[in-house]
Amino acid sequence: MLLKYLFAKNEDIPAGSSTIFFGYSAIFWFVVGTGLGSFNAAKLAFPDFATGVELFAFGHMRQVHVLAVILGWISMAFAMTMMYMTPALGNTKLWSEKLGLWTAFNWNAGLSLGLILLWCGFTSGREYSDLIWPIDLVVIFGVLVPLGMNVWMTIAQRRTQGIYITNWFFGACIFFLIIVFLVGQSAELFNLTGLTEGYLTFWFAHNVLGLWITPVAAGIAYYTIPKLTGNPLYSHRIGHLHFWSIIAFYSTPASHHLLSAPLPEWLKSFASVEGVLILIPAVAFVANILLTMKGRWSMFVENVEIKFSVTGVLLAIPLNMQGGFQQTRAINWYVHGTGWIVAHAHLALLGMSSFLEIAAVYFGLQQVLRRKLYSLVLANFHFWFVIIGFCIYWISMTIAGLIQGAGKIYEVPYIDVVIAEHPYMIARWIGGTMVFTGNMVWLYNMYMTAREGTIVPKGRYAHEMAYER
Amino acid sequence: MAWKLDNPLYSLADDQENKATIETWQREKHGGLWESNNRLPYPVTFLIGLIIVTAFLVTKPIWGQRPSAELYAPMVELMDSPEVQQKATKEEKMAYLTERAMEIHKSAADTRLPGLLERHPISWEDLQLAAPHIREIKSANGPYGLESYTVVGDQVVLGNFEGSYRPDGLRERTQPWWDKGYTIDLLYVSYFVITMVLVCKRLPHFTQKPDMSKAVK
Repeated sequence: MLLKYLFAKNEDIPAGSSTIFFGYSAIFWFVVGTGLGSFNAAKLAFPDFATGVELFAFGHMRQVHVLAVILGWISMAFAMTMMYMTPALGNTKLWSEKLGLWTAFNWNAGLSLGLILLWCGFTSGREYSDLIWPIDLVVIFGVLVPLGMNVWMTIAQRRTQGIYITNWFFGACIFFLIIVFLVGQSAELFNLTGLTEGYLTFWFAHNVLGLWITPVAAGIAYYTIPKLTGNPLYSHRIGHLHFWSIIAFYSTPASHHLLSAPLPEWLKSFASVEGVLILIPAVAFVANILLTMKGRWSMFVENVEIKFSVTGVLLAIPLNMQGGFQQTRAINWYVHGTGWIVAHAHLALLGMSSFLEIAAVYFGLQQVLRRKLYSLVLANFHFWFVIIGFCIYWISMTIAGLIQGAGKIYEVPYIDVVIAEHPYMIARWIGGTMVFTGNMVWLYNMYMTAREGTIVPKGRYAHEMAYER
Repeated sequence: MAWKLDNPLYSLADDQENKATIETWQREKHGGLWESNNRLPYPVTFLIGLIIVTAFLVTKPIWGQRPSAELYAPMVELMDSPEVQQKATKEEKMAYLTERAMEIHKSAADTRLPGLLERHPISWEDLQLAAPHIREIKSANGPYGLESYTVVGDQVVLGNFEGSYRPDGLRERTQPWWDKGYTIDLLYVSYFVITMVLVCKRLPHFTQKPDMSKAVK
């Protein structure tokens, strides 16, 4: 239905159209991404599952799962929140709904093409930047630049004097991501090889996490928590500390991913210190948000969006404690190359980041559609399936990682390590499948919300009416 | 945008500017949101100081560094001696060699060596693989001593640390207890702390809070 607006005049397109397009696309890709994750986990738990077809081999499937989640779910959820939060925070309208719709269209089409090509084996062969360079150019010039234009122009034409913290993160992080993509993909564009390629690969991988996935998610929390609780943000000045420490300390530690590589020692030492200092933005963020919750903690139990948001913020604590210390040489030698890192990556993407985005998508879609959530029971079912599934996944993979680390250090035969970690691979599959199931329920709930959700009267918020019958 | 420098840790902005900022915060609501001007709580301030100190201490380059060839040189010299040959098992050979090497390192000028050897034990098989390389480097009498070489698996390679230029025009390759990365970090963190103090002190002091009852609904 929204596709008909692609060729309409901008003023004829209803406000919020691009939010809806991005919102439902994000949920769809979350279902696809976690479905692929569940499939891949099944292959690790049951080695005889889906064998004999090359396309279903783990090497074909793994990176499709990773990029479906990062570029499909997380990044589209970010774009969705930008489409409704940026204008709301500037007391204005989105600069161009039409550009927003075209960005969403290009994004879905480009990502579908990129993932199909990746699935078929067309890959750059570099982790996280697996897409081939023509698709990278689509991402940069067909998606990120138009998205940035819309956000930057909306901020520029705001009707407030100041710019709220969320918009600092949105505006800056899109700019960073464009630079990260341009520099990160240069290894393939200019045929750089060896150590340079290795470093650029992890410079890209680190910064996609550090300058896009975690800070934008934090920026979202700066909107959802004060908005839903009705409390003022605890501190503007702590917001400064968070924002600038992200830029100073999250952009610099890329080489802590390559402590065993023959990079200059000074670069690794520098990165390792910076790696611990990422705890500064983390502490600032968690403190600012949790103090904003003052007097409204009952909402953590009652309100599904707050439930997701605060859980995401709380998960930032173990995330950054792990992230800060696992990259030091004293710990990295043990956990490097093990399932511990896989668990940590899921804590960042499926834990902290996704929980914050889920809350914003729930809230934003209800706001823009002006419809009350179809079923609060299903939303709570979604929450508990995702959190329990995630915890099973995270804990089992962390244990498996420690077993692998011990196996690596004590030179235990590989097959013995595989046997020892098998129960944890089954637990991983169960946890991942619970997340996938929860997300399918979410997609249904949001589809029904659009179709049959109770209309929210003007002047009311959907979440205020959540418990009214 | 005047700067007030008489009480820099209280505020760097003049009273008029602080008043204007507070009024702006009271006047405008960003899509229904407003912000307060609370200080960083003391425990959190302490935590941030602790993080900075920890970051340097926990990543001190000595931890997890690769072993230098110098650590195993005494073992290589003694491994073909009759005392070692008489030992029945590999474990006995290594126990003897480690004990002797430790004694030699304890009397060496570099006091780090015993601790490093303790953290980097070596097996009889690995010592046999590294020994020819260590002997070769020693006999070649090249510009770098064994302390500048690191043992990586079965390879003994020149360390990848690049320090100051020596009188002979070559660079130091022995990693010191301090490191260039740390020097850069010290400057970087200092620069960050100074910048953050300037940014925060340009805001109204935290005792001046916007009165939200005056905010536009």
